[in-house]
Amino acid sequence: MPSKTYKTSETVDFVIVGSGASGGIMARELSRAGNSVVVMEQGPRMQPWDFEHDELKYRNLSGITNNPATNPQTFRSDPSEQAHRIEGRNPLTYARIVGGSSAHFNANFWRLHEIDFIEGSRLGPIAGASLVDWPITYAELEPYYTKVEWEVGVSGLAGSSPFDPWRSKPYPMPPLPVKSSGVLFERGARKLGLHPYPAPMAINSVTYKNRPACAQCGLCGGFGCEVMAKSSSVWTVIPEAEATGRCEIRSESYVFRIGMNKAGRATGVHYFDSDRKEQFQNARAVVVCANGSETPKLLLNSETNGFAHGLANSSGAVGRYLMFNKGGGVQARFENPLNEYRGANVTRVMHDFYDSDPKRGFYGGGGFDARSGGPLTWGQSVPKGTPTWGPGFKEYLESYTYWMNCAGHGTSLAQETNRIDIDPELKDAWGVPSMRVTYKDHPDDIKHANWQIERATEIMDAAGAKQIVAGEVGAATGGVHLLGTCRMGNDPSTSVIDKYHRTHDVRNLFLCDGSSMVTSGRGQPTQTIEALSFRAADYIARFARAGEI
Amino acid sequence: MEQPPASRRQFLAAVGNLASTSWIAMNWPQIAAAAEPAGHHAHDMAHDMAAPTHAVHALSAAEAAEIDAITNQIVPGGTVPGARDANVVSFIDNALGSFFAAQLPSFRKGLADFEGAYAARYGADKPFSAAPDAQQVAWLHEVDKTPFFTAVRRLTVLGLIALPKYGGNRDGAGWKLIGVVDSHTWEPPFGFYDKDYPGFEPYPGTKPYTA
Repeated sequence: MPSKTYKTSETVDFVIVGSGASGGIMARELSRAGNSVVVMEQGPRMQPWDFEHDELKYRNLSGITNNPATNPQTFRSDPSEQAHRIEGRNPLTYARIVGGSSAHFNANFWRLHEIDFIEGSRLGPIAGASLVDWPITYAELEPYYTKVEWEVGVSGLAGSSPFDPWRSKPYPMPPLPVKSSGVLFERGARKLGLHPYPAPMAINSVTYKNRPACAQCGLCGGFGCEVMAKSSSVWTVIPEAEATGRCEIRSESYVFRIGMNKAGRATGVHYFDSDRKEQFQNARAVVVCANGSETPKLLLNSETNGFAHGLANSSGAVGRYLMFNKGGGVQARFENPLNEYRGANVTRVMHDFYDSDPKRGFYGGGGFDARSGGPLTWGQSVPKGTPTWGPGFKEYLESYTYWMNCAGHGTSLAQETNRIDIDPELKDAWGVPSMRVTYKDHPDDIKHANWQIERATEIMDAAGAKQIVAGEVGAATGGVHLLGTCRMGNDPSTSVIDKYHRTHDVRNLFLCDGSSMVTSGRGQPTQTIEALSFRAADYIARFARAGEI
Repeated sequence: MEQPPASRRQFLAAVGNLASTSWIAMNWPQIAAAAEPAGHHAHDMAHDMAAPTHAVHALSAAEAAEIDAITNQIVPGGTVPGARDANVVSFIDNALGSFFAAQLPSFRKGLADFEGAYAARYGADKPFSAAPDAQQVAWLHEVDKTPFFTAVRRLTVLGLIALPKYGGNRDGAGWKLIGVVDSHTWEPPFGFYDKDYPGFEPYPGTKPYTA
């Protein structure tokens, strides 16, 4: 079915920048509410048959992600240093195709817990960090978490974890079948008195909404799902948005500046089309859902006379408080083959250590899971003491199917100095000024990651592992969970957007993606980003109806 | 426990049975077309036809012989196939002629240094690749911390396991080595430990519920 197309000269109700986890939902909700919508996506639109089981291409050659050759970034760990490009990779990685990072995610869908929203007041200030409350609570977001599970499609077992936050509805689909890693993780954790449970995953376990069940091919994280069982925007909400007849998905359209008039209102977006020709799309309002790195970059590259330090940046918070999800885990070898390359990546998780516990002497909390990794990536490194070449290395390679990962996923504290801004010199292949990343882990984040490694070691030991290889906690030089860079808040002097995702400074400019998050959560942010998007779209559509945009 | 591998065509047919009829009706021509040209899809190559021969183009024949000898020491052959059986040198040649082309000059310089140092060390007038096994191993132990060796090692692992369409992993030799069966779909049990899983047992005080 051909989707609606608009001329750039037409003034559409909304232009949405980004077609990922948030942008796809925003597009569906706003177009279903009767608005004309154009979604701008930097990358191409791929069809199911375009996705290959090609770990080299997707994990090593930027097959569907931002490419360091054409979309370069610089990095430094301290503001006093000169930032440099990192050899062979970008610090911040996201999928650059229709569907955004929802197309290549692992699909771990964890809700935040009640405590995530109120840690600032609950725990008090932490030196060097900006741990503050969200302007909304879990209760306000709960209906939208449920909406994600039912509208987008999540499998899981409600009520199975004693640590789960309350919920208004069960999952629409049963959990995926357990893998050997899940069984061993569950065995070890139960022995220690812990409470592992079936992983909630945005992957169909049965036919749901005209999409088939998972084929268990084993390649989720980093890959697009060619059977469309993974609940990526490109298979779920985007076709539904197009079906309204009011939404156009404009791929290979790279927005580089937001248009502003003298009255301080957004007028549309400047972008490069697929021929790298400059275009301008008129719109009544702009919603930026470009991810936690591209959203602040776009605002900072949109400075105008009235907004000398970047658009919507009177607080100075645009690009600041960048958070990843720090964590630590182990790799464990067992006596018999697990064949972790088969089946969806994660089948068991555990939230016993979700909450921060002052008794540990540092801030931090997280969840654990049993997971697999692709063989190409796995074979690149060896445990300490294993030969890196020769017969001993070959023997190690032959053991691939006997290994699993037990991974901890945790908090990163918001720090004002951790930020994305614009590199003074570097430009991308379109001539757009590149982002510069400044990031240093908070000492508590490192302590917590090391603490997680100890717990993961205990779990794998209790599970009967023959060999356990502890991960090493290094300084973060990048991430894929890009959070906090346009934080939500009630105070315009300390935050970028209000609780309805409207920028404090520009009435018809809204932001919604990982950048909106005030704290990092514990490792799996996508369901929260999607819940925020459903909620934001609800309010934005109401504002539009009431003429309040 | 091993299940027979499904070819891409079988796989797509199986997906067709699971997807809604409307989706299939709408997309089947493209799916069928995508599955047809054997040779354009690595999985077809792996199962339906012999691996293609790749002309050496980035490396000279002499350079390729040296690299081949090094890869053969990194993952030696034997009962279980090694890097040479997997034609890893062809992957490296392809990689340096295409997606890793930017690394070719430094790679070539590294190889020249490697050869020069080898000749000086052993007073050899023949290349490294002509040396007896024990001498090759001894020399590699001396240089295995160099960036050049590290690069060859990285490329060797990539060439073993990446899709055969990139030139290595001939006849799925790399997959055989690591115990991976090439298939597009799997069903439980996946491995040894999930065979007899009795089902999830709820914790006291919890009441799991489903839709």
